[in-house]
Amino acid sequence: MKSKQYSVKVFETTITDEEKFIKFFDTNYALFKDHLILIQGTLSKDIRAYLTKKPLIFLHNKTVPIGRSRKALESELNIQKIENDVNQQIAQEEIKKLSTRLQNNLTVLDRIIRSGQELDIEGDLLLLNRVNSGATIHTTGNLIITQVVEGALRCDGNFMMITASPKANVIFHGVEVDNNLLADKLNRVELKKNQILITPVIKKEINWEL
Amino acid sequence: MGIVIAVISGKGGVGKTTATANLGLGIAINEKNCIVVDFDIGQRNLDMILGLENRVVYDLVQVMDGEAKLKQAIIKSKVNENLHFLAASQSKDKTVLESKKVKKLVAELRESYDYVILDSPAGIESGFEHTIEFADAAIIVVNPEVSSIRDADRAIGILDSKSQKVKNGEEVAKYLIINRISAEMVQSGEMLKSEDILNILNIKLLGKVPEDRGVIDASNQGKPVILNKKSYAGQAYTRIAGRLCGQKVDMKDIEISDTGLFKKLKGMFK
Repeated sequence: MKSKQYSVKVFETTITDEEKFIKFFDTNYALFKDHLILIQGTLSKDIRAYLTKKPLIFLHNKTVPIGRSRKALESELNIQKIENDVNQQIAQEEIKKLSTRLQNNLTVLDRIIRSGQELDIEGDLLLLNRVNSGATIHTTGNLIITQVVEGALRCDGNFMMITASPKANVIFHGVEVDNNLLADKLNRVELKKNQILITPVIKKEINWEL
Repeated sequence: MGIVIAVISGKGGVGKTTATANLGLGIAINEKNCIVVDFDIGQRNLDMILGLENRVVYDLVQVMDGEAKLKQAIIKSKVNENLHFLAASQSKDKTVLESKKVKKLVAELRESYDYVILDSPAGIESGFEHTIEFADAAIIVVNPEVSSIRDADRAIGILDSKSQKVKNGEEVAKYLIINRISAEMVQSGEMLKSEDILNILNIKLLGKVPEDRGVIDASNQGKPVILNKKSYAGQAYTRIAGRLCGQKVDMKDIEISDTGLFKKLKGMFK
Protein backbone atom coordinates (compact mmCIF):
# COMPACT_ATOMS: atom_id res chain seq x y z
CA MET A 1 0.00 0.00 0.00
CA LYS A 2 1.21 3.45 -0.93
CA SER A 3 0.14 6.27 1.25
CA LYS A 4 0.83 9.88 2.06
CA GLN A 5 0.12 11.88 5.13
CA TYR A 6 -0.27 15.64 5.24
CA SER A 7 -2.14 18.48 6.93
CA VAL A 8 -4.73 20.63 5.22
CA LYS A 9 -5.80 24.18 6.09
CA VAL A 10 -9.49 24.48 6.63
CA PHE A 11 -11.66 27.58 6.61
CA GLU A 12 -14.89 26.91 8.39
CA THR A 13 -17.86 29.30 8.16
CA THR A 14 -21.61 29.64 8.34
CA ILE A 15 -23.37 31.71 5.69
CA THR A 16 -25.80 34.37 6.90
CA ASP A 17 -25.53 36.96 4.11
CA GLU A 18 -24.83 35.45 0.67
CA GLU A 19 -23.77 38.69 -1.02
CA LYS A 20 -21.27 39.52 1.70
CA PHE A 21 -19.96 35.96 1.50
CA ILE A 22 -19.36 36.19 -2.25
CA LYS A 23 -17.69 39.56 -1.89
CA PHE A 24 -15.45 38.32 0.87
CA PHE A 25 -14.38 35.30 -1.16
CA ASP A 26 -13.79 37.32 -4.29
CA THR A 27 -11.39 39.67 -2.50
CA ASN A 28 -9.62 36.94 -0.62
CA TYR A 29 -9.61 34.29 -3.34
CA ALA A 30 -5.80 34.21 -3.47
CA LEU A 31 -5.78 33.15 0.14
CA PHE A 32 -8.68 30.69 0.01
CA LYS A 33 -7.68 28.76 -3.07
CA ASP A 34 -5.27 26.74 -0.92
CA HIS A 35 -7.90 26.09 1.78
CA LEU A 36 -10.58 23.54 2.18
CA ILE A 37 -13.83 25.43 2.71
CA LEU A 38 -16.12 23.90 5.26
CA ILE A 39 -19.64 25.24 5.31
CA GLN A 40 -21.86 24.55 8.23
CA GLY A 41 -25.61 25.25 8.10
CA THR A 42 -27.58 26.01 4.97
CA LEU A 43 -25.89 26.05 1.56
CA SER A 44 -27.96 27.51 -1.28
CA LYS A 45 -27.74 26.45 -4.92
CA ASP A 46 -26.25 29.80 -5.92
CA ILE A 47 -23.41 29.56 -3.47
CA ARG A 48 -22.75 25.98 -4.44
CA ALA A 49 -22.57 27.05 -8.11
CA TYR A 50 -20.31 29.96 -7.19
CA LEU A 51 -17.91 27.76 -5.24
CA THR A 52 -17.77 25.15 -7.98
CA LYS A 53 -17.13 27.79 -10.61
CA LYS A 54 -14.36 29.55 -8.72
CA PRO A 55 -13.05 26.68 -8.23
CA LEU A 56 -12.88 26.14 -4.51
CA ILE A 57 -12.95 22.80 -2.80
CA PHE A 58 -15.60 22.66 -0.19
CA LEU A 59 -17.46 20.39 2.15
CA HIS A 60 -20.93 20.88 3.53
CA ASN A 61 -22.01 19.98 7.06
CA LYS A 62 -19.10 17.65 7.77
CA THR A 63 -16.95 17.29 10.84
CA VAL A 64 -13.25 17.05 10.16
CA PRO A 65 -10.60 15.79 12.55
CA ILE A 66 -8.76 18.73 13.98
CA GLY A 67 -5.07 18.17 14.59
CA ARG A 68 -3.63 18.94 18.01
CA SER A 69 -0.49 20.67 19.09
CA ARG A 70 2.71 18.66 19.59
CA LYS A 71 2.52 19.15 23.34
CA ALA A 72 -0.97 17.76 23.54
CA LEU A 73 0.07 14.81 21.40
CA GLU A 74 3.06 14.06 23.57
CA SER A 75 1.09 14.15 26.80
CA GLU A 76 -1.47 11.81 25.26
CA LEU A 77 1.26 9.39 24.22
CA ASN A 78 2.64 9.53 27.72
CA ILE A 79 -0.72 8.69 29.24
CA GLN A 80 -1.07 5.81 26.81
CA LYS A 81 2.35 4.49 27.78
CA ILE A 82 1.51 4.63 31.47
CA GLU A 83 -1.81 2.89 30.81
CA ASN A 84 0.02 0.19 28.86
CA ASP A 85 2.50 -0.32 31.65
CA VAL A 86 -0.24 -0.59 34.25
CA ASN A 87 -2.17 -3.04 32.10
CA GLN A 88 0.92 -5.15 31.63
CA GLN A 89 1.53 -5.19 35.36
CA ILE A 90 -2.04 -6.20 36.06
CA ALA A 91 -1.74 -8.99 33.49
CA GLN A 92 1.50 -10.21 35.04
CA GLU A 93 -0.04 -10.25 38.47
CA GLU A 94 -3.02 -12.19 37.17
CA ILE A 95 -0.68 -14.76 35.63
CA LYS A 96 1.18 -15.00 38.93
CA LYS A 97 -2.07 -15.59 40.79
CA LEU A 98 -3.12 -18.14 38.25
CA SER A 99 0.17 -19.97 38.52
CA THR A 100 -0.28 -20.11 42.27
CA ARG A 101 -3.61 -21.69 41.64
CA LEU A 102 -2.03 -24.03 39.12
CA GLN A 103 0.54 -24.73 41.83
CA ASN A 104 3.69 -24.46 39.83
CA ASN A 105 5.62 -23.21 42.86
CA LEU A 106 6.66 -26.64 44.00
CA THR A 107 9.17 -27.26 46.77
CA VAL A 108 10.99 -30.57 46.58
CA LEU A 109 12.81 -31.81 49.70
CA ASP A 110 14.70 -34.99 50.45
CA ARG A 111 15.55 -34.83 54.12
CA ILE A 112 14.10 -36.32 57.25
CA ILE A 113 11.85 -33.88 59.04
CA ARG A 114 12.93 -34.56 62.61
CA SER A 115 11.19 -34.05 65.92
CA GLY A 116 10.87 -30.36 66.76
CA GLN A 117 11.39 -29.17 63.18
CA GLU A 118 8.65 -27.10 61.58
CA LEU A 119 8.13 -26.52 57.87
CA ASP A 120 5.86 -23.78 56.62
CA ILE A 121 5.56 -24.01 52.84
CA GLU A 122 3.84 -21.51 50.54
CA GLY A 123 2.58 -23.64 47.67
CA ASP A 124 3.13 -27.32 47.01
CA LEU A 125 5.51 -29.67 48.74
CA LEU A 126 6.96 -32.93 47.51
CA LEU A 127 8.81 -34.63 50.36
CA LEU A 128 10.81 -37.76 49.60
CA ASN A 129 11.60 -38.64 53.21
CA ARG A 130 10.06 -39.39 56.58
CA VAL A 131 8.20 -37.03 58.89
CA ASN A 132 9.14 -38.12 62.39
CA SER A 133 7.04 -37.93 65.50
CA GLY A 134 7.11 -34.40 66.92
CA ALA A 135 7.70 -32.67 63.55
CA THR A 136 5.17 -30.30 61.95
CA ILE A 137 4.50 -29.45 58.30
CA HIS A 138 2.10 -26.85 56.99
CA THR A 139 1.46 -26.21 53.29
CA THR A 140 -0.89 -23.80 51.57
CA GLY A 141 -0.78 -25.97 48.46
CA ASN A 142 -0.80 -29.66 47.70
CA LEU A 143 1.24 -32.10 49.71
CA ILE A 144 2.86 -35.33 48.58
CA ILE A 145 4.98 -37.37 50.98
CA THR A 146 6.43 -40.64 49.74
CA GLN A 147 7.44 -42.06 53.12
CA VAL A 148 5.74 -42.64 56.44
CA VAL A 149 4.36 -39.68 58.36
CA GLU A 150 4.44 -39.88 62.14
CA GLY A 151 4.30 -36.15 62.87
CA ALA A 152 1.67 -33.48 62.37
CA LEU A 153 0.47 -32.27 58.95
CA ARG A 154 -1.67 -29.29 58.09
CA CYS A 155 -2.58 -29.01 54.40
CA ASP A 156 -4.82 -26.39 52.78
CA GLY A 157 -4.26 -27.41 49.16
CA ASN A 158 -6.45 -29.29 46.73
CA PHE A 159 -5.10 -32.70 47.62
CA MET A 160 -2.65 -34.72 49.71
CA MET A 161 -0.91 -38.00 48.88
CA ILE A 162 0.41 -39.56 52.06
CA THR A 163 0.94 -42.63 54.20
CA ALA A 164 0.32 -41.95 57.84
CA SER A 165 1.06 -44.08 60.84
CA PRO A 166 -1.47 -44.24 63.67
CA LYS A 167 0.75 -41.75 65.55
CA ALA A 168 0.33 -39.01 62.94
CA ASN A 169 -1.97 -36.02 63.27
CA VAL A 170 -3.34 -35.06 59.86
CA ILE A 171 -5.47 -31.94 59.39
CA PHE A 172 -6.86 -31.20 55.92
CA HIS A 173 -8.64 -27.84 55.50
CA GLY A 174 -9.10 -27.63 59.25
CA VAL A 175 -10.63 -31.09 59.55
CA GLU A 176 -8.84 -33.89 61.34
CA VAL A 177 -8.51 -36.96 59.12
CA ASP A 178 -8.97 -40.39 60.69
CA ASN A 179 -5.63 -42.19 60.66
CA ASN A 180 -7.29 -45.56 60.07
CA LEU A 181 -8.23 -44.30 56.60
CA LEU A 182 -4.59 -43.47 55.84
CA ALA A 183 -3.10 -46.86 56.62
CA ASP A 184 -2.57 -47.94 52.99
CA LYS A 185 0.77 -47.47 51.32
CA LEU A 186 -0.30 -44.25 49.59
CA ASN A 187 -3.60 -42.48 50.07
CA ARG A 188 -5.14 -39.59 48.19
CA VAL A 189 -7.05 -37.09 50.31
CA GLU A 190 -8.98 -34.47 48.35
CA LEU A 191 -11.73 -31.94 48.73
CA LYS A 192 -14.75 -32.49 46.47
CA LYS A 193 -18.00 -30.59 46.88
CA ASN A 194 -17.13 -29.68 50.45
CA GLN A 195 -16.47 -33.30 51.30
CA ILE A 196 -13.16 -34.89 52.11
CA LEU A 197 -12.61 -37.89 49.89
CA ILE A 198 -9.99 -40.51 50.75
CA THR A 199 -8.95 -43.13 48.20
CA PRO A 200 -6.09 -45.60 48.52
CA VAL A 201 -3.68 -45.20 45.59
CA ILE A 202 -1.30 -48.02 46.45
CA LYS A 203 -2.67 -50.75 48.64
CA LYS A 204 -0.78 -52.10 51.60
CA GLU A 205 1.41 -55.07 50.82
CA ILE A 206 0.27 -58.25 52.43
CA ASN A 207 2.80 -59.50 54.93
CA TRP A 208 2.95 -63.28 54.54
CA GLU A 209 5.30 -63.69 57.46
CA LEU A 210 2.53 -63.45 60.03
CA MET B 1 45.36 -34.32 65.37
CA GLY B 2 42.70 -36.37 67.07
CA ILE B 3 39.00 -36.79 66.50
CA VAL B 4 36.43 -35.17 68.77
CA ILE B 5 33.33 -37.26 69.46
CA ALA B 6 30.32 -35.99 71.41
CA VAL B 7 28.15 -38.58 73.13
CA ILE B 8 24.55 -37.34 73.14
CA SER B 9 21.07 -38.72 73.70
CA GLY B 10 18.45 -36.02 74.19
CA LYS B 11 16.69 -37.97 76.91
CA GLY B 12 18.38 -38.53 80.23
CA GLY B 13 19.13 -41.86 81.81
CA VAL B 14 19.66 -43.85 78.62
CA GLY B 15 23.30 -44.62 79.37
CA LYS B 16 25.34 -41.79 77.88
CA THR B 17 27.81 -41.61 80.71
CA THR B 18 28.16 -45.39 80.95
CA ALA B 19 28.76 -45.56 77.21
CA THR B 20 31.32 -42.74 77.39
CA ALA B 21 33.25 -44.45 80.19
CA ASN B 22 33.25 -47.84 78.51
CA LEU B 23 34.13 -46.56 75.05
CA GLY B 24 36.91 -44.39 76.48
CA LEU B 25 38.39 -47.37 78.26
CA GLY B 26 37.79 -49.62 75.24
CA ILE B 27 39.69 -47.21 72.98
CA ALA B 28 42.51 -47.00 75.54
CA ILE B 29 42.69 -50.81 75.63
CA ASN B 30 43.14 -50.65 71.85
CA GLU B 31 46.30 -48.66 72.59
CA LYS B 32 45.00 -45.30 71.44
CA ASN B 33 45.61 -42.17 73.44
CA CYS B 34 42.17 -41.18 74.69
CA ILE B 35 40.63 -38.54 76.94
CA VAL B 36 37.07 -38.49 78.22
CA VAL B 37 35.65 -35.11 79.23
CA ASP B 38 32.57 -34.66 81.38
CA PHE B 39 30.54 -31.77 80.00
CA ASP B 40 27.63 -32.37 82.35
CA ILE B 41 28.50 -29.41 84.53
CA GLY B 42 26.72 -29.36 87.87
CA GLN B 43 25.83 -33.04 87.68
CA ARG B 44 29.10 -34.83 87.19
CA ASN B 45 28.97 -38.61 87.21
CA LEU B 46 31.65 -39.80 84.86
CA ASP B 47 34.32 -39.62 87.61
CA MET B 48 32.37 -42.12 89.70
CA ILE B 49 31.79 -44.57 86.88
CA LEU B 50 35.50 -44.46 86.02
CA GLY B 51 36.37 -44.87 89.69
CA LEU B 52 38.29 -41.61 89.79
CA GLU B 53 36.11 -39.49 92.05
CA ASN B 54 38.65 -39.19 94.84
CA ARG B 55 41.32 -37.95 92.48
CA VAL B 56 39.55 -34.90 91.07
CA VAL B 57 41.39 -31.72 92.06
CA TYR B 58 40.73 -29.25 89.29
CA ASP B 59 37.79 -29.30 86.91
CA LEU B 60 36.95 -28.26 83.38
CA VAL B 61 35.53 -24.87 84.33
CA GLN B 62 38.64 -23.95 86.30
CA VAL B 63 40.76 -24.83 83.27
CA MET B 64 38.58 -22.77 80.94
CA ASP B 65 38.66 -19.81 83.35
CA GLY B 66 42.44 -20.03 83.61
CA GLU B 67 42.43 -20.91 87.31
CA ALA B 68 44.23 -24.17 86.60
CA LYS B 69 46.40 -25.51 83.82
CA LEU B 70 45.08 -28.24 81.58
CA LYS B 71 47.94 -30.55 82.65
CA GLN B 72 47.05 -30.11 86.31
CA ALA B 73 43.40 -30.97 85.75
CA ILE B 74 43.82 -34.06 83.59
CA ILE B 75 43.67 -37.32 85.56
CA LYS B 76 45.39 -40.45 84.33
CA SER B 77 43.45 -43.66 84.82
CA LYS B 78 44.99 -46.37 87.01
CA VAL B 79 43.34 -49.09 84.96
CA ASN B 80 44.87 -48.12 81.64
CA GLU B 81 47.60 -45.56 81.09
CA ASN B 82 46.16 -44.51 77.71
CA LEU B 83 42.95 -43.30 79.33
CA HIS B 84 42.72 -39.75 80.64
CA PHE B 85 39.89 -37.89 82.27
CA LEU B 86 38.82 -34.29 82.71
CA ALA B 87 36.10 -33.74 85.31
CA ALA B 88 33.12 -31.42 85.19
CA SER B 89 32.57 -28.82 87.84
CA GLN B 90 30.09 -29.90 90.46
CA SER B 91 29.48 -26.52 92.04
CA LYS B 92 28.71 -24.46 88.94
CA ASP B 93 25.95 -24.95 86.36
CA LYS B 94 25.77 -25.31 82.59
CA THR B 95 25.46 -21.58 81.94
CA VAL B 96 29.15 -21.01 82.73
CA LEU B 97 30.17 -22.52 79.38
CA GLU B 98 31.18 -20.08 76.67
CA SER B 99 31.66 -20.88 73.02
CA LYS B 100 35.08 -19.23 72.81
CA LYS B 101 36.49 -21.04 75.82
CA VAL B 102 35.05 -24.40 74.73
CA LYS B 103 36.60 -23.96 71.29
CA LYS B 104 40.03 -23.26 72.82
CA LEU B 105 39.85 -26.23 75.17
CA VAL B 106 38.67 -28.64 72.46
CA ALA B 107 41.44 -27.44 70.13
CA GLU B 108 44.07 -28.04 72.84
CA LEU B 109 42.77 -31.53 73.59
CA ARG B 110 42.64 -32.39 69.90
CA GLU B 111 46.35 -31.58 69.65
CA SER B 112 47.44 -34.07 72.28
CA TYR B 113 44.99 -37.00 72.06
CA ASP B 114 43.89 -39.44 69.34
CA TYR B 115 40.36 -39.58 70.67
CA VAL B 116 38.56 -36.84 72.60
CA ILE B 117 35.20 -38.04 73.92
CA LEU B 118 32.80 -35.46 75.30
CA ASP B 119 30.03 -36.65 77.59
CA SER B 120 27.09 -34.35 76.90
CA PRO B 121 24.46 -33.42 79.47
CA ALA B 122 20.90 -34.64 78.83
CA GLY B 123 18.47 -32.25 77.21
CA ILE B 124 18.99 -29.82 74.36
CA GLU B 125 19.93 -26.69 76.28
CA SER B 126 23.11 -24.63 76.15
CA GLY B 127 25.23 -27.32 77.81
CA PHE B 128 24.31 -29.76 75.05
CA GLU B 129 24.86 -27.15 72.34
CA HIS B 130 28.36 -26.37 73.62
CA THR B 131 29.24 -30.06 73.66
CA ILE B 132 28.27 -30.62 70.03
CA GLU B 133 29.46 -27.27 68.69
CA PHE B 134 33.06 -28.27 67.94
CA ALA B 135 32.69 -32.05 67.66
CA ASP B 136 33.69 -33.90 64.47
CA ALA B 137 31.30 -36.75 65.13
CA ALA B 138 28.47 -37.62 67.44
CA ILE B 139 27.47 -40.89 69.03
CA ILE B 140 23.77 -40.94 69.75
CA VAL B 141 22.74 -43.30 72.54
CA VAL B 142 19.13 -44.47 72.60
CA ASN B 143 17.01 -47.01 74.42
CA PRO B 144 14.51 -49.00 72.37
CA GLU B 145 11.52 -46.94 73.47
CA VAL B 146 9.55 -44.16 71.78
CA SER B 147 10.37 -41.30 74.15
CA SER B 148 14.10 -41.91 73.88
CA ILE B 149 13.85 -42.12 70.07
CA ARG B 150 11.90 -38.89 69.76
CA ASP B 151 14.32 -36.99 72.02
CA ALA B 152 17.27 -38.39 70.09
CA ASP B 153 15.58 -37.30 66.86
CA ARG B 154 15.27 -33.78 68.23
CA ALA B 155 18.91 -33.81 69.36
CA ILE B 156 20.05 -34.92 65.86
CA GLY B 157 18.00 -32.10 64.35
CA ILE B 158 19.79 -29.56 66.55
CA LEU B 159 23.16 -31.18 65.86
CA ASP B 160 22.49 -30.77 62.14
CA SER B 161 21.77 -27.07 62.52
CA LYS B 162 24.04 -25.84 65.33
CA SER B 163 27.30 -27.71 64.83
CA GLN B 164 30.27 -25.65 63.64
CA LYS B 165 31.09 -28.30 61.06
CA VAL B 166 27.64 -28.02 59.51
CA LYS B 167 27.93 -24.24 59.51
CA ASN B 168 31.16 -24.64 57.50
CA GLY B 169 29.22 -26.69 54.96
CA GLU B 170 30.58 -30.06 56.09
CA GLU B 171 28.69 -32.93 57.62
CA VAL B 172 28.91 -34.21 61.17
CA ALA B 173 29.25 -37.99 61.27
CA LYS B 174 26.47 -39.51 63.33
CA TYR B 175 26.54 -42.98 64.83
CA LEU B 176 23.89 -44.80 66.78
CA ILE B 177 24.24 -47.02 69.82
CA ILE B 178 21.10 -48.82 70.88
CA ASN B 179 21.46 -49.49 74.58
CA ARG B 180 19.64 -51.83 76.97
CA ILE B 181 18.14 -54.15 74.36
CA SER B 182 16.22 -57.05 75.82
CA ALA B 183 16.13 -59.91 73.29
CA GLU B 184 13.06 -61.43 74.90
CA MET B 185 11.07 -58.19 74.79
CA VAL B 186 12.02 -57.54 71.18
CA GLN B 187 10.95 -61.03 70.20
CA SER B 188 7.65 -60.73 72.00
CA GLY B 189 7.06 -57.43 70.22
CA GLU B 190 7.10 -55.36 73.42
CA MET B 191 10.28 -53.53 72.46
CA LEU B 192 11.06 -51.57 69.30
CA LYS B 193 13.19 -53.44 66.77
CA SER B 194 16.56 -51.99 65.81
CA GLU B 195 15.44 -51.85 62.18
CA ASP B 196 12.54 -49.59 63.13
CA ILE B 197 14.80 -47.34 65.18
CA LEU B 198 17.30 -47.07 62.32
CA ASN B 199 14.45 -46.35 59.95
CA ILE B 200 13.23 -43.48 62.08
CA LEU B 201 16.59 -41.90 62.88
CA ASN B 202 18.29 -42.75 59.57
CA ILE B 203 21.89 -42.73 60.84
CA LYS B 204 24.63 -45.35 60.83
CA LEU B 205 24.49 -48.09 63.43
CA LEU B 206 27.62 -48.29 65.57
CA GLY B 207 26.48 -51.08 67.83
CA LYS B 208 23.85 -52.65 70.03
CA VAL B 209 24.26 -53.16 73.75
CA PRO B 210 22.10 -55.69 75.58
CA GLU B 211 20.44 -55.08 78.90
CA ASP B 212 22.84 -56.33 81.55
CA ARG B 213 22.50 -56.33 85.34
CA GLY B 214 26.26 -56.16 85.61
CA VAL B 215 26.30 -52.58 84.33
CA ILE B 216 24.82 -51.09 87.48
CA ASP B 217 27.18 -53.00 89.74
CA ALA B 218 30.13 -52.02 87.55
CA SER B 219 29.15 -48.36 87.80
CA ASN B 220 28.77 -48.55 91.55
CA GLN B 221 32.20 -50.17 91.86
CA GLY B 222 33.79 -47.63 89.54
CA LYS B 223 35.01 -50.40 87.24
CA PRO B 224 33.48 -50.00 83.77
CA VAL B 225 31.68 -53.13 82.57
CA ILE B 226 34.02 -53.47 79.60
CA LEU B 227 36.62 -54.87 82.02
CA ASN B 228 34.32 -57.80 82.74
CA LYS B 229 35.04 -60.24 79.91
CA LYS B 230 31.99 -62.37 80.76
CA SER B 231 29.48 -59.54 80.65
CA TYR B 232 27.42 -59.30 77.46
CA ALA B 233 27.26 -55.53 77.71
CA GLY B 234 31.02 -55.46 78.24
CA GLN B 235 31.55 -57.58 75.13
CA ALA B 236 29.25 -55.26 73.18
CA TYR B 237 31.30 -52.23 74.27
CA THR B 238 34.51 -54.04 73.30
CA ARG B 239 33.11 -54.58 69.79
CA ILE B 240 32.00 -50.94 69.52
CA ALA B 241 35.37 -49.64 70.73
CA GLY B 242 37.02 -51.87 68.11
CA ARG B 243 34.85 -50.33 65.39
CA LEU B 244 35.75 -46.83 66.61
CA CYS B 245 39.43 -47.76 66.31
CA GLY B 246 38.95 -48.76 62.69
CA GLN B 247 38.73 -52.53 63.10
CA LYS B 248 36.22 -54.49 61.08
CA VAL B 249 34.00 -56.08 63.68
CA ASP B 250 30.83 -57.80 62.47
CA MET B 251 27.50 -56.81 64.00
CA LYS B 252 26.30 -59.37 66.47
CA ASP B 253 22.56 -59.80 66.43
CA ILE B 254 21.85 -59.64 70.13
CA GLU B 255 18.14 -59.47 69.47
CA ILE B 256 17.99 -63.06 68.26
CA SER B 257 20.73 -64.75 70.28
CA ASP B 258 18.94 -66.34 73.15
CA THR B 259 21.34 -66.60 76.00
CA GLY B 260 19.14 -66.84 79.08
CA LEU B 261 20.01 -69.80 81.31
CA PHE B 262 16.35 -70.53 81.86
CA LYS B 263 15.73 -70.68 78.10
CA LYS B 264 18.68 -73.03 77.67
CA LEU B 265 17.29 -75.40 80.27
CA LYS B 266 13.89 -75.20 78.63
CA GLY B 267 15.51 -76.10 75.31
CA MET B 268 17.09 -79.21 76.82
CA PHE B 269 13.74 -80.63 77.83
CA LYS B 270 12.04 -80.03 74.50
